[in-house]
Amino acid sequence: MHRYEVLMLSVPEITSDETSNLEKGFDKIVRDAKGTLVSFERWGKYRLAFPIRKNDYGIYFLARLEVDDANSLKLLDELKSFFAIKVNDLVVRNMVSKLDMNASLVYQRPRSLEEAATARDVNTFLKENKMEGLLPGSESAAPKAAAPTGEAEEEVEVAVEELDTDKNGEDNEGDE
Amino acid sequence: MTKKIKLKMSARLLKKRPRRSSSSSRRRCRFCDSEEQRQNIDYKNATFLRGFITERGKILASRVSGTCCRHQRALAKQIRKARTIALLPYTAQYF
Repeated sequence: MHRYEVLMLSVPEITSDETSNLEKGFDKIVRDAKGTLVSFERWGKYRLAFPIRKNDYGIYFLARLEVDDANSLKLLDELKSFFAIKVNDLVVRNMVSKLDMNASLVYQRPRSLEEAATARDVNTFLKENKMEGLLPGSESAAPKAAAPTGEAEEEVEVAVEELDTDKNGEDNEGDE
Repeated sequence: MTKKIKLKMSARLLKKRPRRSSSSSRRRCRFCDSEEQRQNIDYKNATFLRGFITERGKILASRVSGTCCRHQRALAKQIRKARTIALLPYTAQYF
């Protein structure tokens, strides 16, 4: 038995009908190859690290499936053609990986935009990060904690080979 | 023009100054010690992998991050995988 996972990136305008069609198409392929679909998760909307097909955002789906050794190659070929032809307009990237059968199914993933938007207020942040001592009830002056994910770092980085042309005389600190 | 005298190997070795043993090279790889950390090396775990790339998106050298050769290879492979599906950037132009 082989276990695979497929991480798919779709356009942000995907509708719920199209999502269910995608899941059904996926399930059909897996059943035709006599495999089982272990999970099909929608991660949510994410901001992409670079624009893909002029979109700055995308929706990720993670599917996990199990299949016999004999049918695995056939399944992978079918998946390839599925992504190349059938859902080419919707799914812009896909990554098929093999998973160890003995390994756990637990994984970590980044926080999606939908999750980040829900009440990132100070108290929940402090509780999550075990900083209850800073909560307004316990101490008088509680400084507001900065959310780690939303911050844009303002460091100006200069490598030795490239001379930066900014004239403000700021000390250029480089990580390299 | 004086002819340069080539010293014998033993004399050359004596002239060499002994190198200071750098304590930073004895730092242990964080992945060698902990199974939990090893499980974090995954292309899906972009928040963890961000700690191993520079501001410009380049993969940090192992001498900087302190990882051993084996885990540096695994880490780099997962970072490159994450880049292809836009969980991590190729370059900071798109930050």
